[in-house]
Amino acid sequence: MARDVNLNSLQELEREVILQVLYRDQAVQNIEEERIRKLKTHLQHLRWKGAKSVSPEYKEKSCARCQRELGLLLNRGAVCKGCSHRVCSECRVFLRKTSAWKCTVCFEDRNVKIKTGEWFFEERAKKFPTEGKHGTAGAKLLQSYQELSKISVVPPTPPPLSESQCSSSSNRLQELGQFKGFNKSVENLFLSVTTHMKKLSKSQNDMTSDKQLRATGPRQCAGRTERRSQSDTAINVTTRKASMPDILKPLNQESPRRLTSPVLKQEDLSSRPTPSAFFSGGLRHASLISINSTCTEMGNFDNANITGEIEFALRYCFKTCSLEICIKACKNLAYGEEKKKKCNPYVKTYLLPDRSSQGKRKTGVQKNTVDPTFQETLKYQVEPSQLGARWLQVSVWHLGTLTRRVFLGEVTIPLATWDFEDSTTQCFCWYPLRAKAEKLEDSILPSNGELEVRAKLVFPAGPRKLQEAQEGTDQPSPNGQLCFVVLGAKNLPVRSDGTLNSFVKGCLTLPDQHKLKLKSPVAKKQACPQWKHSFVFNGVSPSQLRQSSLELTVWDQAIFGVNDRLLGEARLGSKEDGAAGEDSGSPSERQWQKVLSSPNLWTDMTLILH
Amino acid sequence: MASATDSRYGQKESSDQNFDYMFKILIIGNSSVGKTSFLFRYADDSFTPAFVSTVGIDFKVKTIYRNDKRIKLQIWDTAGQERYRTITTAYYRGAMGFILMYDITNEESFNAVQDWSTQIKTYSWDNAQVLLVGNKCDMEDERVVSSERGRQLADHLGFEFFEASAKDNINVKQTFERLVDVICEKMSESLDTADPAVTGAKQGPQLTDQQAPPHQDCAC
Repeated sequence: MARDVNLNSLQELEREVILQVLYRDQAVQNIEEERIRKLKTHLQHLRWKGAKSVSPEYKEKSCARCQRELGLLLNRGAVCKGCSHRVCSECRVFLRKTSAWKCTVCFEDRNVKIKTGEWFFEERAKKFPTEGKHGTAGAKLLQSYQELSKISVVPPTPPPLSESQCSSSSNRLQELGQFKGFNKSVENLFLSVTTHMKKLSKSQNDMTSDKQLRATGPRQCAGRTERRSQSDTAINVTTRKASMPDILKPLNQESPRRLTSPVLKQEDLSSRPTPSAFFSGGLRHASLISINSTCTEMGNFDNANITGEIEFALRYCFKTCSLEICIKACKNLAYGEEKKKKCNPYVKTYLLPDRSSQGKRKTGVQKNTVDPTFQETLKYQVEPSQLGARWLQVSVWHLGTLTRRVFLGEVTIPLATWDFEDSTTQCFCWYPLRAKAEKLEDSILPSNGELEVRAKLVFPAGPRKLQEAQEGTDQPSPNGQLCFVVLGAKNLPVRSDGTLNSFVKGCLTLPDQHKLKLKSPVAKKQACPQWKHSFVFNGVSPSQLRQSSLELTVWDQAIFGVNDRLLGEARLGSKEDGAAGEDSGSPSERQWQKVLSSPNLWTDMTLILH
Repeated sequence: MASATDSRYGQKESSDQNFDYMFKILIIGNSSVGKTSFLFRYADDSFTPAFVSTVGIDFKVKTIYRNDKRIKLQIWDTAGQERYRTITTAYYRGAMGFILMYDITNEESFNAVQDWSTQIKTYSWDNAQVLLVGNKCDMEDERVVSSERGRQLADHLGFEFFEASAKDNINVKQTFERLVDVICEKMSESLDTADPAVTGAKQGPQLTDQQAPPHQDCAC
C-alpha cells in the first residue's frame, strides 16, 4: 500500500469491491420493487372490486366492498372510520386486540404503506421533497459507474450535424457544455475515489477534517467548483465533499438507454417502410429516426379492414429486468393489398408512451400469407418500477411495394395491472386485432402534457426589420418568416425523480417535402419547463405555409444526447398526403388558421401533446 | 427465452419475497470500532479478531421475526475512514435507523460521536432512529470510556444506549431488535397521525355516523 506502484491496482480493486456490493444491492432492490408492485396491484384490485360509483345498479344499502345488500334491521352494515363507506361485517378487519376496525380497503391501504415502506418515503419527503421515492444511493452510484465505463469504451458522439442548418451555434455550444459538465461530474466521483486512496495514510484522524467541512454546510458546497483541472491531484476537501451531490444530480433514474437498450435489434433495413430520403442524413441519429417514426406513425400509412387475431405471450424476468414478448402467430389477417390478394405481414411493438425508434421492436416480414407464423421474441429492458406506467402496443403491418405500409390491426395492453407473477398470464393467448382508435392517445393514453406556444407570421414588407432586430437573424428572407415562440410546457411525463431535461424540436415540412428544423435549448431539471425560445423559419410564404405542416416534439435529453426520450408531439397544419381527414375543428387547428390569416399578429396557442 | 413450442414460461422463484417489510439500517462510527464485526456477529454469528478495513460500503441481509412480522433487514456497514465519506453519506438518506458505534477502549472514537450525530442530522430524515453502541465491552482492562459517560452522551443526544461486544456476543442481537422496535414505533406514529387521509373517498352525510364509537355489535 505504501508504494506508488500499487496504488493503481488497488484503486481498481477498490472499485471492483464496491461494484460487487452495488450489484448485490441492485438484486435486492429488484426483488423489493417487484414485491412492492405486487402489493400495489393487489390493493388496486381490491379497490376495483368495490368500485361502487361506476356500477350502474348502485344501491345505497349495499356493502361498499363486496357489494352485498345490507338489510334494514339485520345485517345493517357500519361505517368505516377510514373511508366513511358502509360495509358489512365480513369486510372488516379488526386491529390487533382492539374493537376498532377498518374496512378491507382501508386496512389494506395502511398495510401497503407499511409493507412498501411508503410511510418512510412520505416522512423523508418532508425533509427532502425532491428526493425520488425509490431511487437509492446505490442505484445512483451504480449508474454513474456504468456511465463512466461507457465513456472509457465509447468516445462520446457529437450532436447530430443534420440539425445544425437552422439552429444557432449558441445552442450547440450550450449542449456541448452540458455534455462536458456531466463528464466532469462522473470524473469527480473517480477523482474522489482516487484522492481518497492517496490520502490513505491520513485516514486515521477520522472526524477531524470533517469538522471544518460541516462548518461550510452542504448547501453552500453545492455551489461547487466544477471548473478545475482534470489532472488535479491535490483536490481540497471541499471539492471532494461537493462531488457527491454533483454526481447524483444529473442522473435520471430511468435513463432511456436502459429502458430500451436494444437487446434484440431487428432493424431490418429492407422492411423499414419509410421514405429513404429521410435517412440520408444519418442513421446514427436516433432523434431523427424517431421523428420520422413518429411522422409515419401519425398517419402516413394505408388502412385495411381489420380482421383476424394475433397470438403472443408476455413474460417479465425480474432478475434481468427484461420484458419479453413472444410473438407466435397471426391468423385471418386482412390482405394488405386487397385487389392483389397480397399480404406480407410483420409485427411491431412499442412500450407506450415511448414511441421513439429505440422503443420499437419488429419481427421479420412473412411473405404472402394471412396466417403468418413468427415465433420471434422481442425484448425490452424495463425497470420493474416503470412497468406500471407503460402500455404494450402490438401492431401488425403489411409491407407493400415501394415500402408502403398498410396497417392490419393492433392490440394494446396496459402493463400496470398485468400480473407477471401469475403463470397463467404467461401463456400464449389469442388477441383479436383492433382498428387504430381515431385518436389513439385520447382514448387509451392520457395526454402527454400541454405545450404553450405563440406564433406570428411576418411579411417582408413592413415590420420585418423590426422582427429581424428582435430575433437577431440576419439572413435574407425572400418571402416571409414564421416566428414561433415556444413558451413552456406542463403536465409532461416526468422522470421518476419528478424532473426533466427537456427541449423542443420544431420541424416545418414545406409542400416540396423540404424540412426546416430548429431546436430549443435544454431546460434542465424542470418538470414544467419554460424555454421561452423563438423558432424563426425564414423564407416561407403564407401560401406555402397553408400546405405545410409544423411538428413540435418535446424531448427529454439523455445524458449523452443520443437516446433522447420523446415526451410528446403536437402537429399543426396540413396532414401529409391527406391520409388523415382534416380535423379543422380542433381548437389548435383553428388557431393555426388564425396565425396564417392574420399576419404580424401574435397568436397564443395551447397544444396538446400526444 | 422459452423455446418456441413452449406454451408457458417457467415459474419465477419468489422465496426471497417471503417477508412483510424491509428496514434499512446503517452502522456508522470511526474506523476500527468494530462495525463490521458487529454486523458479522449478528448476521452470521461469526467473529474474526483480524482487522480488515471496509472498502466503501457493504451490506448484509437478515430476516427476523419480530412482533408477529417477518422483517427483512438490509444492514449497511460503512467504512469509517474519512476518505470514503462521500460514498457513505449518500446512504444516510435511505436509512430508517442508525447504529452509531464507538470503541470503549478508544477515546477518540467516543469524542467523534457528536460529529457523527451531526452527520445523521444533516443527511438523514428527521425521525431517524439512532442507537448509540459502545463496542468491545469485553475488553474491560483497556476501557477508557466509562459506561456512565456513554449513557450521559446518549441521553444528551436523545439516543438509546447499549454497551456491547461483538467478540463475546453481548447485546448484539438486543441492539438490532431494539432498533427494529423503535423504527416500528416511529412507523405507527407516522401512520396514525396521517390516518384520516387514508383513502380519498369521503361521503359527507355519513361523516356524522363516524363520530359514534365503533360498535361491533353484530350488525350483520
